[in-house]
Amino acid sequence: MPIELLQQAAANNEWLAITPELMLGLTALLLLVLELILPKAKHGLIPVAAIVIQVVIAVSLALNFNTAFSGTDTVFNGLLRLSADGQFLRLFFLVCSIFVCLLGTVSLAKQRMPRVEFYHLVLVITAAMMLLAQSNHFVMFFVALETVTVGFYILVSYFRESPLSLEAGLKYLVMGALSSSLLLFGIVLLYGVAGNRGLPGGSADSMNFDQLRGFLEANPGNFLASVGIVLVLAGVAFKIGAVPFQIWIPDVYQGAPTPVTAFLAVASKAAGFAVLLILTQRVFTPYQNLVIPVLAVMAGATILFGNLAALTQHNVKRLIGLSGISHAGYLMIGVIAAYREPLAVGAIWFYLSAYLLASFAVFGVMAHVAGSNDADQELDHYANLAKEQPFLAAILAIGLGSLAGIPPLAGFMGKLLIFVAAFKAGLYPLLAIAVGGVVISIYYYFGWIKAAFFPSSLPSGGEPAPVATRVCTPVAGWVRVALIVLAVSSVLLGFYPGAFGQWVLAH
Amino acid sequence: MNAGLNEYLVLSGLLFALGFFGVLLRKNTLVIFMCLELMLVASTLALVAFSRFNGTLDGDVFVFFILTVAAAEVAVGLAIIVALFRRRQTIQVEELNALKN
Repeated sequence: MPIELLQQAAANNEWLAITPELMLGLTALLLLVLELILPKAKHGLIPVAAIVIQVVIAVSLALNFNTAFSGTDTVFNGLLRLSADGQFLRLFFLVCSIFVCLLGTVSLAKQRMPRVEFYHLVLVITAAMMLLAQSNHFVMFFVALETVTVGFYILVSYFRESPLSLEAGLKYLVMGALSSSLLLFGIVLLYGVAGNRGLPGGSADSMNFDQLRGFLEANPGNFLASVGIVLVLAGVAFKIGAVPFQIWIPDVYQGAPTPVTAFLAVASKAAGFAVLLILTQRVFTPYQNLVIPVLAVMAGATILFGNLAALTQHNVKRLIGLSGISHAGYLMIGVIAAYREPLAVGAIWFYLSAYLLASFAVFGVMAHVAGSNDADQELDHYANLAKEQPFLAAILAIGLGSLAGIPPLAGFMGKLLIFVAAFKAGLYPLLAIAVGGVVISIYYYFGWIKAAFFPSSLPSGGEPAPVATRVCTPVAGWVRVALIVLAVSSVLLGFYPGAFGQWVLAH
Repeated sequence: MNAGLNEYLVLSGLLFALGFFGVLLRKNTLVIFMCLELMLVASTLALVAFSRFNGTLDGDVFVFFILTVAAAEVAVGLAIIVALFRRRQTIQVEELNALKN
């Protein structure tokens, strides 16, 4: 019997389906080998290799977008589930990773740090996030999530000479491990109740999402299952930084190296929402009477907290972290709306894409403006940026405008789509809070733009203006190209969401 | 006396709560770290108990994954704590507050 069972299991393994992840893992190893065999003078080639290979993987993934999941839906005995959403997220994470590597070339040059491990970890984390977005089984889910999280512990504390980076790493470690434990306990409870064959729908494979959903449908209102669901949602809420699990965000975002902050802000948040969508829309659907109120309260509180706390910030990394909390709130409205309005899922993907373009434009500028102390990036450092570095200032203005949701830019279309979906789903109170939040956010985003375009004017404090010591790195050629691409696509996607928008919304 | 599923669950729930409040209330980073591990172990206990009483092996297999993940977490975590102690000469939570506005 065991031999046949193993053969059956092996026949279900579609290794071709996870080629991109395998390629990323191999590339990560290749980078370490390259460091050993290349002479020291040529180590600059390593990030180039990382970026080029990722571009190749991304292009081939895009070309094979629909072929990957034409045959079987679930592979590896139900561990992974291939879908159009999963394909989109894979591409999304790859693009994130490419930009993080680009930012890494700018930021790491200012520190005396080993370089190669950074790219290695970024690739491994990206592969794990790609698997996470397609997981269909709690074991796969947990292992992929932990690979991402443990990788991020290292990346956040990567500048190990800087006490601030280490402190951020420790805080992220404690908070991340706490949330993982909550999540794990939730998984265990769900596994336990759903595996009880005495209950209707109890299954021997109760960690599989489809089986679990079958159990939840058969047993509405089971107490242990409800506790499990709440714990799992709490764990996920930690990852996306929703109130009341947002306390780690400002400190960690400030202390982490700028490229890592960008990675956390965009890719990690997108992974959190991918997971949240899988769980709420596919697995926990029978328990929506429990899930929707919890999410609604969190979404409202998240938007208000993020925007109000960002108002008084002067450190730009904390500011972008806190404003990121409010973006998570808008996205959560989309998740709630997705219960009644299928359009909302596409709206979330569009919003995340716009957020990616705008965020990386802003982080790209931040990486250039930052001095050697990476945690110390104040609004004052941006004084007169427009005169000295008009190119960076223009990119910054477009990025921040898109984040704020100014009409012709992509961020506006993203917010509009989410709000339309929420309106169709009838979430009027949340919609009101969200619109209020957007109005508040314009104030602090414009404060930043103002700091960049006008001489620093201190608010009535009467102290002498601090001499902002800005050591602006010159913008290298291909980073310049990348920043232009980000800004232009932010504008184009706002004016003409057409093909991309339809394609995303069609899913 | 035979322990049933409920006894195991209560015990693991208690251990989990102990770890959780330990993380929130203790001041020494190393103790916090031990509390985090306690939470993982509590989950593991519940997992094994469920696995035994449901008659499926999935839970037992999952335990191996959890142990591996926990080991990786400890390796990274202790490295961070040691590096931080070298810089700051302290691992008390209330003194690690450089990241403030």
